[in-house]
Amino acid sequence: MTAASVSSADPRRQRFRLRIRSARDFAGRFARRPDAVIGLAILVVFCILALIPSLLVGPLETATTASGSALQAPDAIHVLGTDDLGRDILNLTIHGTRISMMIGLLATLVTIVIGTSFGIIAGYVGGAVDAILMRITDFFLVLPTFVLALILAPIVLDLIGSDALVFGIRANLFVTVIVIGVTSWASTARIIRSQALSVRERMFVDRARVIGGSRLHIMRRHILPNVVNLIVANTVLTFAGAVLTETTLAFVGLGDPFDPSWGQILNAAESRGAPGLGAWWFFAPPAACVVFVVLAFTLVGGALDDVLNPRARLRR
Amino acid sequence: MGGRYLARKLLQAIITIAFIILLNFLLFRLMPGSPDRVLARNLPLDVRQVLLERWGLDRPVFPDQFVAYVGATLQGDLGESFKFQGVSVTDVLAERIWPTLVLFGLGEMIAIVIGLALGAYSGWKRGGPVDYVGNGISLVLYSMPYFVIGMILLIVFSGGLGWFPTSGMLEMGATYGSFVDQLLDFLSHLALPLTTVAIGLIGQYSILMRASIIETLGEDYITTARAKGLTEGYVLRRHALPNAMLPAVTLVAINLGYVIAGAITVELVFGWPGLGTLTVEALNSRDYPVLQGVFLLLSISVVLANLAADLVYGLLDPRVRT
Amino acid sequence: MRTPVRHRFVRLLAALGLTGVLLLPTLALPARAANPLVLRVGTLQSPDSINPWNASLVVEYEIFQLNYDLLVGFGDDLQPTPGFAESWTQSSDGLTWTFKIRDGMKWSDGQPATSEDARWTIAFALNSKKAGTTLGLGYIQDYFVDAGIDSVVAPDPQTLTIHTKYPTERVLSMDAPILPKHVWEKKSAATVGDFTNPAPIVGTGPYQAVEWKTGQYIRFARNPNYWGNRGAADEVDIRFFPDAQDTMVQAFKRGELDYIRNPSAQQFDQLKALPGVTAVEAPATGFTELGFNTYAKDIPGGGASTKALRDPAFRDALGYAIDKQAILDKVYHGKGTVGTTMVPPYYVQYHVDPTSPRTFDINLAGQKLEAAGYVLNGNGQRLDKDGKPLNLRLYFPNDEPSYATDAQFIADWFSKLGIKIKSQGMDTGALTDIQTAPEYDPKAKANYDLYIWGWAGDNNDPNTLLKIFLTSSIASAGTDSLYSNPQYDSLFKQQNEAPTADARKASMAEMQQLIYDQAPYHILVNDSELHVWRTDKFANWQQMPPGTGTPLFVMGALNYTLLTDATAAPTPAAPATPAASAAASAGPATVAPVTTPTPVTTPTPAATPAPAPADSSSGGTLLLLGAIVLVAIIAVGLVAWRGAASRRRKKEDEE
Repeated sequence: MTAASVSSADPRRQRFRLRIRSARDFAGRFARRPDAVIGLAILVVFCILALIPSLLVGPLETATTASGSALQAPDAIHVLGTDDLGRDILNLTIHGTRISMMIGLLATLVTIVIGTSFGIIAGYVGGAVDAILMRITDFFLVLPTFVLALILAPIVLDLIGSDALVFGIRANLFVTVIVIGVTSWASTARIIRSQALSVRERMFVDRARVIGGSRLHIMRRHILPNVVNLIVANTVLTFAGAVLTETTLAFVGLGDPFDPSWGQILNAAESRGAPGLGAWWFFAPPAACVVFVVLAFTLVGGALDDVLNPRARLRR
Repeated sequence: MGGRYLARKLLQAIITIAFIILLNFLLFRLMPGSPDRVLARNLPLDVRQVLLERWGLDRPVFPDQFVAYVGATLQGDLGESFKFQGVSVTDVLAERIWPTLVLFGLGEMIAIVIGLALGAYSGWKRGGPVDYVGNGISLVLYSMPYFVIGMILLIVFSGGLGWFPTSGMLEMGATYGSFVDQLLDFLSHLALPLTTVAIGLIGQYSILMRASIIETLGEDYITTARAKGLTEGYVLRRHALPNAMLPAVTLVAINLGYVIAGAITVELVFGWPGLGTLTVEALNSRDYPVLQGVFLLLSISVVLANLAADLVYGLLDPRVRT
Repeated sequence: MRTPVRHRFVRLLAALGLTGVLLLPTLALPARAANPLVLRVGTLQSPDSINPWNASLVVEYEIFQLNYDLLVGFGDDLQPTPGFAESWTQSSDGLTWTFKIRDGMKWSDGQPATSEDARWTIAFALNSKKAGTTLGLGYIQDYFVDAGIDSVVAPDPQTLTIHTKYPTERVLSMDAPILPKHVWEKKSAATVGDFTNPAPIVGTGPYQAVEWKTGQYIRFARNPNYWGNRGAADEVDIRFFPDAQDTMVQAFKRGELDYIRNPSAQQFDQLKALPGVTAVEAPATGFTELGFNTYAKDIPGGGASTKALRDPAFRDALGYAIDKQAILDKVYHGKGTVGTTMVPPYYVQYHVDPTSPRTFDINLAGQKLEAAGYVLNGNGQRLDKDGKPLNLRLYFPNDEPSYATDAQFIADWFSKLGIKIKSQGMDTGALTDIQTAPEYDPKAKANYDLYIWGWAGDNNDPNTLLKIFLTSSIASAGTDSLYSNPQYDSLFKQQNEAPTADARKASMAEMQQLIYDQAPYHILVNDSELHVWRTDKFANWQQMPPGTGTPLFVMGALNYTLLTDATAAPTPAAPATPAASAAASAGPATVAPVTTPTPVTTPTPAATPAPAPADSSSGGTLLLLGAIVLVAIIAVGLVAWRGAASRRRKKEDEE
């Protein structure tokens, strides 16, 4: 009571130094895992590809600007061959990175926001609110989300209008974001809730309540920071799931041919009969990208979870 | 097994199913447009009116349509397909459900046996070369959409080597000398899609099993058992495995969603005439009643399956029954 | 510790039991008799209904043409040949046709087939139309209605008399089946479209449908009572591959199919090179077009985004900015021909080329736009006559991947003229709904500008394509461009009632030139039919028309009956039905009676018909059973999953 209240600058600097040390501690532990490093490296590469595709391969080739002839096998000029319209597959795949990652990111944001809100509120407030929220969450856990996504897509598209341009992305793609977000939040909610429950039990929260902090204040200032670790790990894994789901939805036909994601390219390959024609280069690159990205996210997410999760440290 | 546990689980299941039916109804009402869109262009106005009346869309939503809908569903009438005039959704589903059951059921059984075994072995031998290779492969498979696995198998084994047929369930118009011949043809069509589903599922089961084995190996009682001088095998069988049999609800649900999505796309790639191809066909022709029928069927099945699994746990684990 | 052993045993038993249950359905698969010769056909379309009144897809037409006879059939040069009727004469004033119905003809179920069946079928169609009822989807009914029939009588079982309102030969080309009165007479006109017409179907055609698995295939067995040629095939199987073009081609390559319709252009080229395979690219009855919303009235809160679309000069100018050859080459890989008029070259009797066709010249297009009053502003944007920059929406249905590519090209070219294009694919139903006007639905807003879509005409008559541009089509939602021109309407009436084919052609030539100049459509390409078949199993594939057409998926089912067994020892070939040599001419025409083919004995049906799902209750029980098994399978998976999972995640709260 005495020393702490006199020099008010110190606690904050101490907290800052503590955070730096724990960050360095974390980084070190993370870097020692080979799977985490590989995963991270892959993600960095794909992030670069997603951010500056035009710089690397020029603008997205369209039917009119196709640079080659139809279905050419890979050669010196077209390293990954061409599609049935003569467009360079490397060009398509790298531009597809941007779409796939962006949809994944946005969908993950929606999922995390909804899931975390549900989880924290349910976990901290408890009682009837908790029961109701968890009922809803369990309901969504049980639904076959993929089929639900297929049914929701035309509904949402109708709601926002086929012409709409939301945040600069076309209606089709935005629908995919919404649909993935709405169907995937339930597991996040569950995980966050259990963490919120355990945090609630800890002492400083009781202290804050005794002092008189409002519920919202407590949730924001005390519970949220302590579940951040879990959210981070969960976000990464959710991202993997979102990319997988987007790819599958696009493969089944919900993609946008004007802004093709990897799944959309795979859909085009399948419908043009690429496997039968032996044009393996049409679908191998986007398929490989999906696998790499999802694998990378899974590795990083698993590593994050392991490192941030206190129990894991004990066993070592 | 406690009666209260059973009753509670049953009640929860019934409430969930009720909400599913409600959701289904809302979705149907929100569907853009009228049914006759699916049919050919130039539909005469009088035909349109007849169709609207037949599907009851000219009556108010509440209560008429809702009550009619719930009543019909409970009696097993799921409406009529938009695409196939005059054929009920029930018949459409009934025709297409068995191929999916065969594919999925056999695939799952194979995957459980192999996947759990692989995962347990890998977990036990943690750190060894077997573990790294096995885990690595499992991780890669886990990250692959099922249809990618399917397309690879299709190209290599069917297009390339020609060992297996490319699609369908049976060769049409073929003559069979005996039932065995027919069975063999069926099995040769089944081979690739079955392998695909199995591989995908093995990836998930083995990773889970491995993680769980590693987890439990760290527990104290294992250490104690070892300290007592018992053999590794004995410890694994008696102490590690049985205690690894307890539920972690969160992981379960995530998995099922991907599996269903995967099953649909695998059927699509191999032209397997099951619920999966039906779903995509219904999606493309905007045959909403069929889409909703599939949704209803799947979600209710999942609820009931969860209920069944809960009941099984009521038998296995005394701690759960409260 | 006895639990582990018991659990393992129980699990094993359950697994075995489940496996057995899962494999049980294979026993229910229909058994086949020994060694029938089966013609296996593959197509991308999947029929929605096998009730002929609901036919709209090509495959649905093919199905009813196998099951039933047309009143008058089609020879390979599209000349009238015997069908349900054996021969016919026209009265001297041209208003009465007398048909002779073959003596001793039987339906496939053994009932006698007489003129009463024909009279009943035609009267049913006509009377329902008069009463304002549409039978099924209405297309098949229209063949009877549009033929100009006034009344039909059956004075005796072998004679059918048709009185027409004006002299016309259209009664000889009605692509509609004669149905068995004893099967259909109890159906009411209002609900006949709901009748699923379950297999086994009763007809007089060469093959009868015995099993239809929706979305998969339909199987036909030989009609034991067929009056015509005996084709070599004992059984015909048509297999559907919706959204599975590659699968169909693979199946053909592996020998699982004998004939396929419409592989992709690249697949077609690949298959052409294979030995023992014939591949034909034939002109199709359809085209792909760039359409305009030409609705001439204002719609509050809707309508096209600019009045420029109503101006023929504007539409004409834009036509010079479309490189149709490039589209044909790049999008359709050369399969097809450059589009011109709305009556494709397939209709050799009626197609005319436009005088002074447009060329591809962007500069010229720009000049024409300027001359018509559409100038560029300082920012390079093209303005309409109200001074607004042109910003057009281009829609297309997303069931056909080539449309999206066509849109990309169009958008690119038009942007060079300063016209901004926003492309959007959408669901066919949604697009159809948008393209309606208040005459059809008072709430319709017609909120669209440009679109890309396609049409397919009937094999024997371009009438369906001509109807698109009628004013009356706006009220019946039969048009997507909402075009109206009284001159065109009167020309249409003229050609519809024309007494001879030449008179008809003259009217149609005027119509084609009019539409080409006015350009509510720019026809991009005329489609091609791509058919591929094997020659080592069946032989004597006749093409309709000879030399340039395809054997199957044409008018009637004649060519199925002409097929021979390619592997059998050579037998005296069944006489191909000689077509009437008389070209269509004015005045009464008689048809030389055809040499009767070898009399057909009654062979045993090759395939045992599998029971079609007759009533809902059997479907319901089957589904319930399946659902139970599904629950069991998922439950097993869940139990195994939970068993494998540990307390890795936070200990879950009990509820």
